Amino acid sequence: MINDVWIAGGAMTRFNRRKDGSSFRDWAREAVQSALLDAALEPADIDTLVLASESDFFTLQLNPAALLADECGLAGVAAKRVEGGGASGHVAVQAGVADIASGLARRVMVLGVEPSASHLDGADVSALYGLSFDAWTDGMTGVDSSSLYALSVLAYMHRTGALHKDFARIAVRNRAHAQHNLNAHLPLKIAIEDVAASPIVASPYHRLDCSPLSDGAAALILARAANLPELARPRTRFRATTCATDTVRLGERNDPGYFHGKNLCATRAYKMADVAPGQINLAEVYDSYSGAQLQALEALNLAPDVLHAERSGVFDSNGALPVNLSGGLLGQGAPVGATGVAQLFTAACQLEDRYAGKQAKHAPRMALVDTHGGIATLNCVSILEVP
Amino acid sequence: MKYPINLQYTIAEGGLAPYFEALRRSEALASECKSCQRVAFPARMVCGACGSHQVQWTALSGLASLIYRTDGTELSFALVKFAGADTLSTVGLLNPGTQTTSGRLRSLANGQSGIWIELNETTDGDNHV
Repeated sequence: MINDVWIAGGAMTRFNRRKDGSSFRDWAREAVQSALLDAALEPADIDTLVLASESDFFTLQLNPAALLADECGLAGVAAKRVEGGGASGHVAVQAGVADIASGLARRVMVLGVEPSASHLDGADVSALYGLSFDAWTDGMTGVDSSSLYALSVLAYMHRTGALHKDFARIAVRNRAHAQHNLNAHLPLKIAIEDVAASPIVASPYHRLDCSPLSDGAAALILARAANLPELARPRTRFRATTCATDTVRLGERNDPGYFHGKNLCATRAYKMADVAPGQINLAEVYDSYSGAQLQALEALNLAPDVLHAERSGVFDSNGALPVNLSGGLLGQGAPVGATGVAQLFTAACQLEDRYAGKQAKHAPRMALVDTHGGIATLNCVSILEVP
Repeated sequence: MKYPINLQYTIAEGGLAPYFEALRRSEALASECKSCQRVAFPARMVCGACGSHQVQWTALSGLASLIYRTDGTELSFALVKFAGADTLSTVGLLNPGTQTTSGRLRSLANGQSGIWIELNETTDGDNHV
């Protein structure tokens, strides 16, 4: 188990497509200032800034960690930028955990920010995301993210018998959860029929099966117990945080529909945390597409038969294992660098019984957070608890 | 503020240059592991199955069978199996209006990189591999 790394506090901005003229520098400042306030800390208390930002092409800012340290009133701190595709935020938190656990820093500010929605045209973003896979093969062929996820989920459907209506149920449920989340990008009240009636993107996926491109920022402050300010609320600690990769090309995987790298990552996490999957009672998983949520839950071993569990309501808000009460990427949104940071902040708030959105029926004690880049190519899993 | 940026990359193809040169001629040049004989297309410099660095080039026919296919509003892509390969390949479909399940590797006339297949127009010509 990870020794003595705690979440001192955190914050996130609204996730949406900004139309108010605010910039990613504004969102970064807002997230950092709010996280400091939440943790009852001052800028001088922070030793290191770890920045998660997927691509310079979004911000058009090289060396962004130093820039944002300065911008956020943290000049003088150690700073680095960490990237892992869609998992960038979670990888950055892992870098922060390592700094705390090793003693390199007393307190680390992890900041995730991305102007994924408003800086570039959708076609330009799609072209850039196409380089998230093997740029020399898939990228140069023009295969987009939606098509690769679609090919993967077709293999999953073939193996398991899952139907599109199983995915549509998730698309509806996560958007319903998002209606309780003031920071959510897509708090939609929709029905299963609406998903199938939305425009086709890459069969079997329709527009409502897809997570949005979002703008936003999130921040998390990490520290050892001895360096946490005295606060009345309980604090969350990391039992485990792990990373594992899969082969990049979908066609080289034994089963293109199975997230093997994620399974490897989760297996390492359960071992590091010394817990069994059955002990997890809350999960935030990477639902970049509706079907990917089922593929993720399968790889995470969170139910013996995930499809049966999904159809039985196990993952509903009042089920035994509520999933994506924030709305997930489908509902809360996905400003890439901020996504994993926000997932972890959400789970911590749930565990600390101070989450402002949809809460689990039964107070969770241990939560799993799952994030990935590519088609579950670079995977991160953390297991959190309030002891 | 507006800030246009136009970047033109020239990317060296390194050890995979023979694979890309063949692709531009509509030829499927795969890598074959000398240790475990796994044939990979697209080619790779290290065997994805056993990790051996001892790989050699092997020419495939370029005939491919569709395994999974996805259609968008304008473009269609597929996971296909090229005859003689042990891996699947992600390809673009040059004639997505065709619903047959087999085709042949084709390069784009403009020389752009990528892996594309042209589907057979009739099932009579299906080349199941």
